Amino acid sequence: MSTAMNFGSKSFQPRPPDKGSFPLDHFGECKSFKEKFMKCLRDNNFENALCRNESKEYLECRMERQLMAREPLEKLGFGDLIDGRSEIKTEP
Amino acid sequence: MGGLWRTGWRRVAFCGWPWNHPGNPSRAAERVESCLRSGRSGTGGAERELRRLGTWRRPSLAVQPPRRPKSTNPFTRAQEEDWRRRNKTVLTYVAAAAVGMLGASYAAVPLYRLYCQTTGLGGSAVAGHASDQIENMVPVKDRIIKVTFNADVHASLQWNFRPQQTEIYVVPGETALAFYKAKNPTDKPVIGISTYNVVPFEAGQYFNKIQCFCFEEQRLNPQEEVDMPVFFYIDPEFAEDPRMVNVDLITLSYTFFEAKEGHKLPVPGYN
Repeated sequence: MSTAMNFGSKSFQPRPPDKGSFPLDHFGECKSFKEKFMKCLRDNNFENALCRNESKEYLECRMERQLMAREPLEKLGFGDLIDGRSEIKTEP
Repeated sequence: MGGLWRTGWRRVAFCGWPWNHPGNPSRAAERVESCLRSGRSGTGGAERELRRLGTWRRPSLAVQPPRRPKSTNPFTRAQEEDWRRRNKTVLTYVAAAAVGMLGASYAAVPLYRLYCQTTGLGGSAVAGHASDQIENMVPVKDRIIKVTFNADVHASLQWNFRPQQTEIYVVPGETALAFYKAKNPTDKPVIGISTYNVVPFEAGQYFNKIQCFCFEEQRLNPQEEVDMPVFFYIDPEFAEDPRMVNVDLITLSYTFFEAKEGHKLPVPGYN
């Protein structure tokens, strides 16, 4: 939160998210997918490019359980991961 | 002849000057007459100013014509008309300028907004931000950016709020997922609302959140712990901005506040 009250300089303007807010996962329905994703990140030195499959799966879990508005995966930037094609293999 | 008259009026006007009581014009007229009788001569330099001061008020019950020239001398009358005209012109210009300033001050707000939108200054909303962009954007693979995460909680909110990863390496044009975790250790349900900040400021323009948990009230039940995801990407144009050449680290910072009745968090946008 930008608390600096200097009107001379430009201040940070937070912008609302494009698709709104995630509903909270109160029952932990997608927790296992999240754990898989976090494990992948830790194994790959926190490189996002290598764990995009897991993030895709997490978002799919959310969409299935009505915790996220259903969107085609291309619109979420996973166009290259559809049909099981993945550019970077994460499995050892 | 005209010159004689002028001298006479000058004398009269000077006599009336020290006793300028606009409230009782009759007495001023008396004094003037006494001056006339005494035949004192006065300096004439201030004649025109004196007349303007309005020390020469004649009591008159009749309705006066709107613009009665104060002199009967045709030359000075023409001069007076000229001054009146000029005064009116100047007054019109000044009034127009005042009205124009007022209008400009009202117009400044939407104009400035328009200016900010076109130039993108101040990190304000850049027009043309559709989800089609996400579909078609190509990751810039040679530019790796480290995004670190920070979590803050307002003093009055007793949640445990922290990021689940300290950093993540992304490239512009690639969507990324990150998690925060929040736990409500109290025995009462608490509603929180969050906002975020991106450092460095200029990079904040390129940081786009597709979906997150901010700006909406989030309710946590007693002893409940939830994962809060942030789905974001960095605009591919980041790689082409010359000002961002040295930017390799972006910090995303979330702050949670307690949502109270009637307490409004500054929500972004101009609604």
